[in-house]
Amino acid sequence: MAFENNVDVEHPVHDVRMAAIKNFEEKGFPSKKEEAWKYTSLNNIQKIDFSIFPKQENSLEYKDVKRYFIHEIDTYKIVFVDGIYSSYLSETTHDGVDICLMSAALTKPMYKQVIDVYFNKIASKDESLTTLNTAFSREGAYIYIPKNKMPKKPIEILHFSTGNEASLLLQPRNLIVVEENAEVQIIERHQSLTSNEVLTNAVTEIFAAKSAIVDLYKIQNDVATASLIDNTYVDQKDKSLVKIHTFSFGGKLTRNNLNFYQNGEYIDSTMKGVTILGEKQHVDHHTLVHHIQPNCESHQDYKGIYGDSSTGVFNGKIIVDKIAQKTNAFQKNNNILISDKASINSKPQLEIFADDVKCSHGCTIGQLDKDALFYLQSRGIPEKEARALLMYAFANNVLSSVRIPELKARINKLIAKKLGVNLGFDL
Amino acid sequence: MLKIKDLHANVEGKEILRGINLEVKAGEVHAIMGPNGSGKSTLASVIAGNDNFEVTQGSVELEGEDLEDVSPEERAHKGVFLSFQYPVEIPGVSVTNFMKTAINESRKAKGLEDMPAKDMLKLIREKSELLEIDRKFLSRSLNEGFSGGEKKRNEIFQMAMLEPKVAILDETDSGLDIDALRIVASGVNKLKSKDNAVILITHYQRLLEYIVPDFVHVLHNGKIVKSGGKELALELEEKGYDWLKQETAV
Amino acid sequence: MAYTEEELKKELETKEYEYGFYTDIESDTFPIGLNEEIVIAISKKKEEPEWMTQWRLEAFRVWESMEEPNWANVHYDKPDFQNISYYSAPKSADPNKTLDDVDPDLLEMYRKLGISVDEQKKLQNVAVDIVVDSVSVATTFKKTLAEKGIIFMPISEAIKEHPELVKKYMGTVVPQKDNFYAALNSAVFTDGSFCYIPKGVRCPMELSTYFRINQAGTGQFERTLLIADEDSYVSYLEGCTAPSRDENQLHAAVVELIALDGAEIKYSTVQNWFPGNKEGKGGVYNFVTKRAICEKNAKVSWTQVETGSAVTWKYPSCILKGDNSIGEFYSIAVTNNYQQADTGTKMIHLGKNTKSTIISKGISAGKSQNSYRGLVQVNSRADGARNFSQCDSLLMGNECGAHTFPYIEAKNKTAMIEHEATTSKIGEDQIFYCNQRGIDTEKAIALIVNGFSKEVLNKLPMEFAVEAQKLLEISLEGSVG
Repeated sequence: MAFENNVDVEHPVHDVRMAAIKNFEEKGFPSKKEEAWKYTSLNNIQKIDFSIFPKQENSLEYKDVKRYFIHEIDTYKIVFVDGIYSSYLSETTHDGVDICLMSAALTKPMYKQVIDVYFNKIASKDESLTTLNTAFSREGAYIYIPKNKMPKKPIEILHFSTGNEASLLLQPRNLIVVEENAEVQIIERHQSLTSNEVLTNAVTEIFAAKSAIVDLYKIQNDVATASLIDNTYVDQKDKSLVKIHTFSFGGKLTRNNLNFYQNGEYIDSTMKGVTILGEKQHVDHHTLVHHIQPNCESHQDYKGIYGDSSTGVFNGKIIVDKIAQKTNAFQKNNNILISDKASINSKPQLEIFADDVKCSHGCTIGQLDKDALFYLQSRGIPEKEARALLMYAFANNVLSSVRIPELKARINKLIAKKLGVNLGFDL
Repeated sequence: MLKIKDLHANVEGKEILRGINLEVKAGEVHAIMGPNGSGKSTLASVIAGNDNFEVTQGSVELEGEDLEDVSPEERAHKGVFLSFQYPVEIPGVSVTNFMKTAINESRKAKGLEDMPAKDMLKLIREKSELLEIDRKFLSRSLNEGFSGGEKKRNEIFQMAMLEPKVAILDETDSGLDIDALRIVASGVNKLKSKDNAVILITHYQRLLEYIVPDFVHVLHNGKIVKSGGKELALELEEKGYDWLKQETAV
Repeated sequence: MAYTEEELKKELETKEYEYGFYTDIESDTFPIGLNEEIVIAISKKKEEPEWMTQWRLEAFRVWESMEEPNWANVHYDKPDFQNISYYSAPKSADPNKTLDDVDPDLLEMYRKLGISVDEQKKLQNVAVDIVVDSVSVATTFKKTLAEKGIIFMPISEAIKEHPELVKKYMGTVVPQKDNFYAALNSAVFTDGSFCYIPKGVRCPMELSTYFRINQAGTGQFERTLLIADEDSYVSYLEGCTAPSRDENQLHAAVVELIALDGAEIKYSTVQNWFPGNKEGKGGVYNFVTKRAICEKNAKVSWTQVETGSAVTWKYPSCILKGDNSIGEFYSIAVTNNYQQADTGTKMIHLGKNTKSTIISKGISAGKSQNSYRGLVQVNSRADGARNFSQCDSLLMGNECGAHTFPYIEAKNKTAMIEHEATTSKIGEDQIFYCNQRGIDTEKAIALIVNGFSKEVLNKLPMEFAVEAQKLLEISLEGSVG
């Protein structure tokens, strides 16, 4: 491997990176033989010869990419173009909170304390793709919210790829630390601007201290040649509340690894997702909630609509440790197949070692309710619109917990567009 | 029959009963009334032997025998019956099977053989008619999906089956419509005899119109603050509990 | 005061495995170890035709190239396959004997097992085939069944007497190379039951096989082949016990069910192999492959009550090949002490309008681990396929684990699949309620567990249900947490 040539031996996290390289060299890319990758193959992706580092810096005009921002409201923005920070498109801050860059955080002494405590502490040290990121990631978002603070506005993290490289591998690395009683809202999006191949292998570490509130929205609506492997690790302390919404409409292959570790009591972890796929798209939601301490809750609610030759995967795992009494863990996965060639694989798992717990999971695969369809048609709504409306209603359930109205409206539009209908009223 | 002497009890370290004295003789009906949180349900639980409550002082005697160290099931065998305020659901266990088990366990404790199936059926038929209970109801899972009224009627049905010496009815009237209340009350009245006793725990006077008590006690702050005849209930209904609270505060 | 947990625990510790007696019968046992000579010797001993010997050898060669699976959620010392004797027969076994000639010690053993191979059983209308260690020792009711054209006999006899049927069906549902244990079984199976129900015949009685491992250091590898011809019906019961021993005994059976067009098979198992002692020593390794194929309009219903074995690895499955075929799986798995169970089912929907139902009740107590593992697969041509799955776990105490690993794969847009799972414990309020009605804690637990398992118990034939209920009680005694 020629990766080492690009490694800066003087770098403060050099040792961490060397260990990560070693792990990846041992393990390589995961294969379908591994239980965790049973339903998702990376074979085709591995065939592509990706550029690991872009040859040149590329710039973009705001007007060309404006539509990818939640431009109706003011936000902080951390924007990357082909993996390189674009100060021109970004709006960072150090005003009471730090919303800036990983590269700065990793090298500047003023951040050393935070980096020492949090960097690579919850991310897996033996999952191969995470270690691949740890080894070679150069850039990403760094967000630090001190005790009792809340940024004035939501934060958008955007990754654009310009297509100047025939095929590009991006490895953003984000660190989000939210201290006691602090709060933050983050919107994350990956967007390719041409149809050149892009593979993003992202790692995000989130630390929610006591009573912290974190809302993370992932918008996955990339072009059909872009693939994404998202590895998110969340560490929660007492009474913290972390919600992650994942909206998967675009992309070629998307794999979301969401890992929650409840290291405290009275924690609430929520994962919600809407997945609407067509063509040959493939989305794999792989979640883990590890209930380590007593009196915590977790809620998962994933809805999927699969058309054309698309495939969906849901693999949700709940582990309840022996001491984690009074745990409430709920998981729901509902799917609709709307084409003959689409398929869904669902594997909701429970591993429970404590007796005084309430855990349940429900999974359904089915069709639209025929009675409801008839009801709508009998009120004069054409079948196609009626179907779309029902599918919209099916998916929309998940949106109730989106706390940014402009974002909710945007997602609604994306859903309507993806379902190919004009509902004739403002969502 | 039942003698309670200076009874003190804690739950999770908090003292709820602070010295209750009460004597219930065979053939009597006692009503225990009082505002929310006065300790009524705690008293019922302690008599039945629920070990979530810790008796710190005093005693409960049944026919001269101290019930300390007597398990809840043994108390039941000796004739203590508690009609629960919130009857518990046991999925998959039918009312009939549950009663069969309960009766035969009691018989076993008394050194008797299991009740022959024929007698059991006859008994069930008899008692279910008494409480106007539909036969289909008896094959349903215990309390699962029962309405509030069905649950309470089922409790009194079980009382009829087990024929206790002392029956404590904890808020049996709550959640009952007037028809159900009439059925339950008439059931209790038919079961009442000179050999057994009934303790009614209630918030309202309403039930006492149907089951007339010989004595009424008012519980407040874990103590019986006033006792009297059935007219005390009417007085409480009229004036509420506030005057009593003031009176006892002085 | 109430019966305490400690008292219960003590009582359980002194409670022995009820079926843990060993009957001293002279056995004819092979030397330990496995190689082609042993396979051939088994075949010779059974006086098998050449094709059967070859079939075994094929399996043996495949097995040699295979590895023991380790994906299940169980941990144990892998058996040393060269340290097992692959053939053990009670010396006095002779298939031509009538019951009157059976070794009185054996009969005494059946009595202890609660199997009355006598008039009493006849009244209950159950035909029994008993397999001790490796050999089928008695089949009752042969004549009554023969009048209807039903064949029910040890598979070793069927190979000789009905080679055309055995040849046609054996290995069609579970091929020799299906998995490690199936391959091993195919090479060394020594006996088991064979059953054929002719077209349109409703088997007038329950057919039953009782398996018992008696001899130390032997493995039991029985093979059951059940063919229900068009529009026939049969209900089949299977019971298992083994004596208490310190070392682990291996049981690797294969059961193949063939339900031809319109046929219905009800297959019920009460598995009570020795689970090991309270320290987790000894016990049976139960690695079983059970599978059914359902042709058009056929129905197969698996019901199992799994209370025994140290380690269970078992997934009775249905291949719903024919249109409108139905597969059902009803299971109660109880684990206590150090037992481990990884059990569940596979429902493979291939035909149109196929239906499957899965009801699984797992009860874990002590330091045991109880896993449900299931697959529901709807293939692209299986229009209108339906599945409903319900997996409930009950945990007793805080040192055990309950796990659910359902795999759901749908490739057809008309598929309707519903899967639900819940985990709960026995509530203190439930126990107190029972206590108040005069039911002691132990009995209360039995009552609540029975209620929890009712949907499955109801599926068992009457006389089996009573036995199963008792077994549940015995398995869980003293496990209040």
